[in-house]
Amino acid sequence: MKARILDRADVLKVVDLLRQKDYEVIAPFRGRGRDTFFDTVTDENRGRIEIHLPNPYYPPKRYVFPHIERLLKAHSNNGYIQIEPTYDMHRRAIFGIRSCDTAGIFHLDGFYMGREFCDTYYKRRRKNLFLVNMVCTDPGEDINSECFCMCADTGPAARDHFDLQLMDLGDEFMAVAGTPEGEALFDDSIFRKGGEGHIKKRTEILEGVRSHFKNSTRNWFSAAVRYISRGSILEKTWETVGERCLECGGCTYVCPACTCFTVSDRRVSPGEVERVRVWDACALAGFTRMAGGHNPRRAVHDRRNRRFFRKLEHHFIRKELSMACVGCGRCAAVCHGDVGMPSVVEMIRRATTEIDKNES
Amino acid sequence: MNHDENIYLPRTAIMDRVTDEIPEVKTFYWHFEDSADQAAFRKFRPGQFAQVSIFGFGEFPASLPPSPTEDETFFTVRSVGSCTAALHQLKPGDKFGVRGPYGNGFPMEEYYGKNLVFVAGGIGLIPLRSCIVYALRHRDKYDRVQIFYGSRSPRELMYLPSLREWERSAGIECRLTVDRKGPADVWDGNIGVVGSLFKIPGTSIPVENTVAFVCGPPIMFRFVIKDLLSLGFKEQNIVSTLERYMKCGVGKCGHCCIGVAYVCTEGPVFTYERIRKLGEDI
Repeated sequence: MKARILDRADVLKVVDLLRQKDYEVIAPFRGRGRDTFFDTVTDENRGRIEIHLPNPYYPPKRYVFPHIERLLKAHSNNGYIQIEPTYDMHRRAIFGIRSCDTAGIFHLDGFYMGREFCDTYYKRRRKNLFLVNMVCTDPGEDINSECFCMCADTGPAARDHFDLQLMDLGDEFMAVAGTPEGEALFDDSIFRKGGEGHIKKRTEILEGVRSHFKNSTRNWFSAAVRYISRGSILEKTWETVGERCLECGGCTYVCPACTCFTVSDRRVSPGEVERVRVWDACALAGFTRMAGGHNPRRAVHDRRNRRFFRKLEHHFIRKELSMACVGCGRCAAVCHGDVGMPSVVEMIRRATTEIDKNES
Repeated sequence: MNHDENIYLPRTAIMDRVTDEIPEVKTFYWHFEDSADQAAFRKFRPGQFAQVSIFGFGEFPASLPPSPTEDETFFTVRSVGSCTAALHQLKPGDKFGVRGPYGNGFPMEEYYGKNLVFVAGGIGLIPLRSCIVYALRHRDKYDRVQIFYGSRSPRELMYLPSLREWERSAGIECRLTVDRKGPADVWDGNIGVVGSLFKIPGTSIPVENTVAFVCGPPIMFRFVIKDLLSLGFKEQNIVSTLERYMKCGVGKCGHCCIGVAYVCTEGPVFTYERIRKLGEDI
């Protein structure tokens, strides 16, 4: 991988370069209070792009897997029917995507394009997506108490799956190319070669940043995978998780690695119907309910169990080549019942420590 | 599989004719508008399913009751929700969408040389019809073939003309039962649940070298499994198809995923041994 150095003052010129290459550039902005969000860069808002800020709760996943996405249009008229798929072929670049979310998109790649069937809609969007990863280096802004990318092994600096990675070294930024497309940007005069000193500085900063992450979940994350895969988690533990779940589905809607969707037809005009897919959440009671009312998954803890099982079971990790949890901490931040991933891992830890104590 | 193929895109199908089966259940005979689609689809295996689209209402998974050895393609569907109700409104000549076939299906060739025992309840006969017709078409490949079928009342016996024919046929043992008989019903057969057929004197069910196919409502499934296990059947020799809420049929939407398996791609056919390990209600 090639690396270059650029001045702090030139960082947003990367956005300009991408815009010149006809990308719709998405970047993070600050709203009121804690609120931050990703939005399309325009001439008007370009100056307000933030480099260091809390990672937006609404994940950038929606640029490859939109919250609502049209799959096809069907025109029908007097016995005539025409089915027409609709694709989004837009070129997009996400500037300032965090390492956890980059890993999330890598996970989606494995899921939508790597299993038995390839999702054409996802593939088309993904092919046109350029990722500029920003390393989390500001403990005050970038990292909060919920972040646990260190445990999920996805951050604070992504090792791959980006086109270009930027890291704040103080007066300068280091740019690392992850793909030939990313490397092509280095032709611009804002980039210059760096030296040993830059690499040393990068290492020092990362060492310092790592100490700001909560890593109590760390050793237990892999243990939780083991316990779940072996099926040795007590029903009681899931029941406790279930009792605290409000069934709002919030964890799913902020998750950068959740993949489930439902499909719905809507009439747009007489004789024209569009079929859309919409994010869905396994926490919701209707998720497995069939027409006629039969629901094989009734209890709430069954559904909660489902979410963690799906994310941590070894079978799925092996099949998709990555875990469906990237350690972004969003579920922990939005959950009113405190049953986000880190808490559940902690509950598994406590329950198993109890079993071990009783067995010895 | 071609990676650029759109896995969610239904193909246009044309309704040929609609026949009544039992209350709320009809059979829909159809074919694809494009003969190439029809030729590709006809390579399905018994136990597979297809996604049926009624534009404006949605899409639902439907099992395939025809055997690949038959000429016509058809669905037998109960009207339970808005989408199936919309299908029930279609008339011959109407167009709709179909994609598939999906799922693993029953490995009928692996069962060559074995006894086949079909146990079905209610509309559970729909997916098994495919296997039964297939087995009868390849009758010399299998040892004994038995059918035990029950419904709630005589009026709710699926595919009655076929059942009567199977009852009369040599080389196949077909036993029917109903849970109860109304005053207006003409019925001189057995009354009782499907499992009661196993206990009728003179009935012998081979256990060795046998595959038992079980399909029906959850309550019937649980009791029949109990009966079969007590007869000495091994869990791996009992097979069934699972029914789940499904949106895509291709392992993406996540609704049918139970345990480590996506019912749509790894199922819907599972052995009872596997179903038990997946750890969810039938």
